[in-house]
Amino acid sequence: MALWVDKYRPRELSKLDYHQEQAENLRNLCKQSDFPHLMFYGPSGAGKKTRIMCLLREMYGSGVERLRNETMTFTTPSNRKIEVMTVSSNYHLEVNPSDAGMYDRTVVIDLIKQVAQTHQIEINGQREFRVIVVSEADELTKDAQHALRRTMEKYVATCRIILSVNSTSRIIPAIRSRCLGIRVAAPSETEIINILQSTCKREGLVLPVELAKRVVDKSERNLRRALLMLEASKVAKSPFTANQEIAELDWQVYLRETANQIMSEQTPAKLEKIRERLYELLSQGVPPNLIFRGLVEQLVNNCDIVLKAKTLDYASQYEHRMQNGAKHIFHLEAFVAQFMNIYKKYLTESVMSVDF
Amino acid sequence: MSARKKAWVASAFSQLDSTPKSTSVIDTATPARRTRSSSTVGKTTATTRARKPKETLDASAVGTPTTIVDLTITEDDDDKRELPALANDNWMENFAPSQSDELAIHPKKVEELRDWLRHCEAMRKKYPAQMCLLTGPSGAGKTATLRVLAQEFNYQIQEWINPVDCEVVNALGDQSNGNSYVGSQLEAFKSFLLRASRYKSLLDKQNKRLLLVEDFPNFLLNDGQTIFEELIDEYASYGKSPLVFIVADSKSRGLNISYKLFTDQLKAKHRITHISFNSIASTIMQKSMKRFCSLMQQDQNKAIYKVPTQSVVDSIVVGAQGDIRNALINLHFGSLKGVPNIPVKQLDVSVVSKGRKRKAQSTLKFIGRDESITLMHALGRVFNPKYNEDREKRLQHSPEEIAEAFSTEPKNFINFIHANYLPHFREIEDVVLASNDIALADLLLQEYRDDSLAVGALNVAVRGCMVANSSPISGWMPVRGPKRLNNQPQVTPLEQKLLGIGFAGIPKAKYASEYSSFVKSIAAKTKEEFESY
Repeated sequence: MALWVDKYRPRELSKLDYHQEQAENLRNLCKQSDFPHLMFYGPSGAGKKTRIMCLLREMYGSGVERLRNETMTFTTPSNRKIEVMTVSSNYHLEVNPSDAGMYDRTVVIDLIKQVAQTHQIEINGQREFRVIVVSEADELTKDAQHALRRTMEKYVATCRIILSVNSTSRIIPAIRSRCLGIRVAAPSETEIINILQSTCKREGLVLPVELAKRVVDKSERNLRRALLMLEASKVAKSPFTANQEIAELDWQVYLRETANQIMSEQTPAKLEKIRERLYELLSQGVPPNLIFRGLVEQLVNNCDIVLKAKTLDYASQYEHRMQNGAKHIFHLEAFVAQFMNIYKKYLTESVMSVDF
Repeated sequence: MSARKKAWVASAFSQLDSTPKSTSVIDTATPARRTRSSSTVGKTTATTRARKPKETLDASAVGTPTTIVDLTITEDDDDKRELPALANDNWMENFAPSQSDELAIHPKKVEELRDWLRHCEAMRKKYPAQMCLLTGPSGAGKTATLRVLAQEFNYQIQEWINPVDCEVVNALGDQSNGNSYVGSQLEAFKSFLLRASRYKSLLDKQNKRLLLVEDFPNFLLNDGQTIFEELIDEYASYGKSPLVFIVADSKSRGLNISYKLFTDQLKAKHRITHISFNSIASTIMQKSMKRFCSLMQQDQNKAIYKVPTQSVVDSIVVGAQGDIRNALINLHFGSLKGVPNIPVKQLDVSVVSKGRKRKAQSTLKFIGRDESITLMHALGRVFNPKYNEDREKRLQHSPEEIAEAFSTEPKNFINFIHANYLPHFREIEDVVLASNDIALADLLLQEYRDDSLAVGALNVAVRGCMVANSSPISGWMPVRGPKRLNNQPQVTPLEQKLLGIGFAGIPKAKYASEYSSFVKSIAAKTKEEFESY
């Protein structure tokens, strides 16, 4: 009873479905005795984590697949206890320091020290270092990144760090230069279709080409999303038909509805209702930048060509502020207000021009 | 003694006057006395030599009339020489009210407390341990009212005063040596409550006692709630006299004893009467200021006080903001003989209210309480800004003032503004400006390198809301608190099982945006299947 995403995830570098050449390079990398810090970067759902796990298996053997969960507790300088969940094997440890929010620096320092200060006991282990996989490293604060940089240098004898990153632009240059960057591009549409087809075959299902195409369209070349979507669709309607409804991300549906509401009425009262909806999304844990992006996409799609440029201009301005600010809702709301205003102006003007 | 002291002090500072500006109106009597007094202190030629040029300067200055007014000079300089000492060290007592009609409290409030005391009288035999809680801002006359009424009803007030920690002397009277310990304050307080209500003092004639707790023991201040409840329970069953608690209001909840200790439950359980005083209205305050002034002119006080001008009295009333204790202190020091007049500054509030113009108010320049406003009040000022109907439209309450008042908690105030500003706006055009400013304020708050930016941020948000709103919607709107987000994804065990051990490896944000909705539907289906088997 596992999700298809996990069930059919390739475990070895040789079994990867795409980017074969890169897999070969990675295998060569493991053959050498030394091994640099790595940074896997690429869009979400491109297969970064899969490649990391394959690489680890290549180095340490199947021992890395014996995973265990561990909840580690850290004490911040302000004496606050924070808990971070980790997944680890004898050879590696996977952690999301960004889940600790503003305390990620403490997590980075303490955890890496803990791991790095212990040497591998097993002599016949292939390597004398352990690997720390830091996922979502671009979500780390600047403080944490600087802390990471220091530990990377200090404990290079006993540990290697593999970063999994969406965009290198949010990683400080000091870290970027210490890592070997490996770009994992999103799979092409045909590659995704092939994977979907082979998955269905292994499940004993028949997937119409039409449906596969539509799923790929909806998934925005995100393989994970495509697989989850397909599985959720299968749950909804078991023998696939070509024009069945595809399960969608609920927050995207919600966001589309929100955008429609913005277009329908431009008053402070409506803005208040929109705020409630945005709060709802934020409290679900959807990252604010995704909300912002989704909202802008929907609005730009629906509005007149005259407004598109203006909308994007404001969007860039408020998105920038949101990245620097602490209260995401303030900036989201300010953007919505701004859009309502220009849209309302546009509407009244067009009504006027119709009259004459 | 004190008079001589003052003269000496004056001489010590007299050299400050040597600047030509301030010596303009000094009459010749002062410098002459100064030299005398200084010579009694120490006959040094150096000081006299130093004074000499000044004296000549003074003489010349008398002739030339200048417009500058010297604040250090009093009207009647002659009296300075023999300032009589105060008759009573605690001069405040001279002004304490002795009858209920002298109280500066609204008669209805007084009647409320009187009712309670009557009730105590009536229940004396059956339920002697009546309890009452008086709250109100400081200087609202809570204690004064109680004292006056207690006298009226012939009660002897027994007040609890926090003891200074002292070592316990054992029964034989010798101090325990070495391992001495300090008696528990809780024990002391308990025994006060139970014994003082029961046994009368040997020195008192009055038979009726009334316990007063104004000075709360320290152990009750922090998390003393359960202990307090026990104490009250015990007192309710064993106490023999009425018990009054007096608590001054305080802004912060952490310090608010009446909120923390006197829960509604406790009040209901023991029928504790809660009488809440308001700060004193300015008309009543004026009346009692008149009484104080007439008291000052009585024979025994005449020697100490001069008559304060009406403008000073008015300013004191304004500056005190309903705090009569503060007003009395200001009046006392402002009208002592030999003390300069209190400088007064004009307040530029001239509001047209109900058709007639209020006279321009003035307040004390340097002393007096800072105006403090509550959060709700300030929010009202932000959302419904008032304008002065001058030639140029100006805000009546400047955003700076409001920002300054909340400079200690800018984040909180901005959050409150954000949570509440929308219903006050009529037009989306106005909202754009306001929301833009609020967002900007958030950005400024993030700048941790400069503390002063926080006030600036607050200022931006406040000003944005006040200025942008061209036609505010007024009317009663409940104030909402800022929303708190807790980003804990709710994952059912089944969903977790579906994800397997790798669940911990998925970042929270990613789970919410990528997995959650699909996993939910898949999990729902598998659950169905599971149940159908």
